[in-house]
Amino acid sequence: MTPLSNLPRASDGLRRINILQGETKVSDDAGVVLTTVLGSCISACLYDPIAKVGGLNHFLLAEPGSGETDVRSLQRYGVYAMEVLINAMMSMGATRSNLKARIYGGASLRDGFRDIGATNALFARRFLRDERIALVGEDVGGHGARRIEFRPTLGLARCRIATDRPVEKPRVAAPAPVIAEAVGDVEFF
Amino acid sequence: MNPLPQKGTAVSSMIMTVDDSPSMRMLLKAALTDMGYNVLEAEDGVDALERLGGACSSGNGPDLLITDINMPRLDGFGLIEKVREQDRHRNLPILVLTTESSDEKKQRARSAGATGWIVKPFHPDKLAAAIRRVLH
Repeated sequence: MTPLSNLPRASDGLRRINILQGETKVSDDAGVVLTTVLGSCISACLYDPIAKVGGLNHFLLAEPGSGETDVRSLQRYGVYAMEVLINAMMSMGATRSNLKARIYGGASLRDGFRDIGATNALFARRFLRDERIALVGEDVGGHGARRIEFRPTLGLARCRIATDRPVEKPRVAAPAPVIAEAVGDVEFF
Repeated sequence: MNPLPQKGTAVSSMIMTVDDSPSMRMLLKAALTDMGYNVLEAEDGVDALERLGGACSSGNGPDLLITDINMPRLDGFGLIEKVREQDRHRNLPILVLTTESSDEKKQRARSAGATGWIVKPFHPDKLAAAIRRVLH
């Protein structure tokens, strides 16, 4: 039976790399599939169809109770997470003006203090618009966890709803996913 | 005496920000104007050199330059070297603001003539303290 999709299956010989929250991975290897599972987090899948380089990040602007509620503080982290991905793409030969994007995730936490998933999705859309990066596909919002499989060199993604419930529960004392102690550290020469 | 420079007055220092990301330029401008500084923006090293020349010839040269490292056309290292080649900018404070944190890159920036290195995402209080330190 012919598969409906060109995307990889377990026996396809492709190497799967799973990306966790806070991580970024870029590849120009046609034999690689980048995968991640998302609840309210956002993944941006960027690719340069000319250089055949692609990458994926997985981030959350903030978690309820993390203390980071200032809008600008959240934006600073989001912009940082995107810049890390874009810089990694460019160091592998991508050109900023060729970049195309797909975004996934941003599910709503039913019992969260506020809808951080929607905030994440709004941020990602606005960032791409401001940076003039074409958004060619998205699957955001809703209530289910998503499993993403992304072929970085082809720019093809498959998004499946994994469960009815998000995998990320709101945790009041969640480990800070993002901002390490050293953030914003200054060194004078 | 006011502890911070006031917007729109002669005492406001001018800061040039150089970053290829419009989102980052917007965040920086918001933070710096909140601190009371005037902001001049450039989108890469080439753009920065042009604007720097234009601003200086009209008597509105910046008091501080804050630059990203990874940029098209001319990156932060190249920009710092070019700026330092000009006698009138020998003492212009230059802060690097970047996602990078490797010692090798810091050393390169230092050799090129940078004044300091700040790791993104920036924290407004730390940024403000760094700016005050190099401006006074």
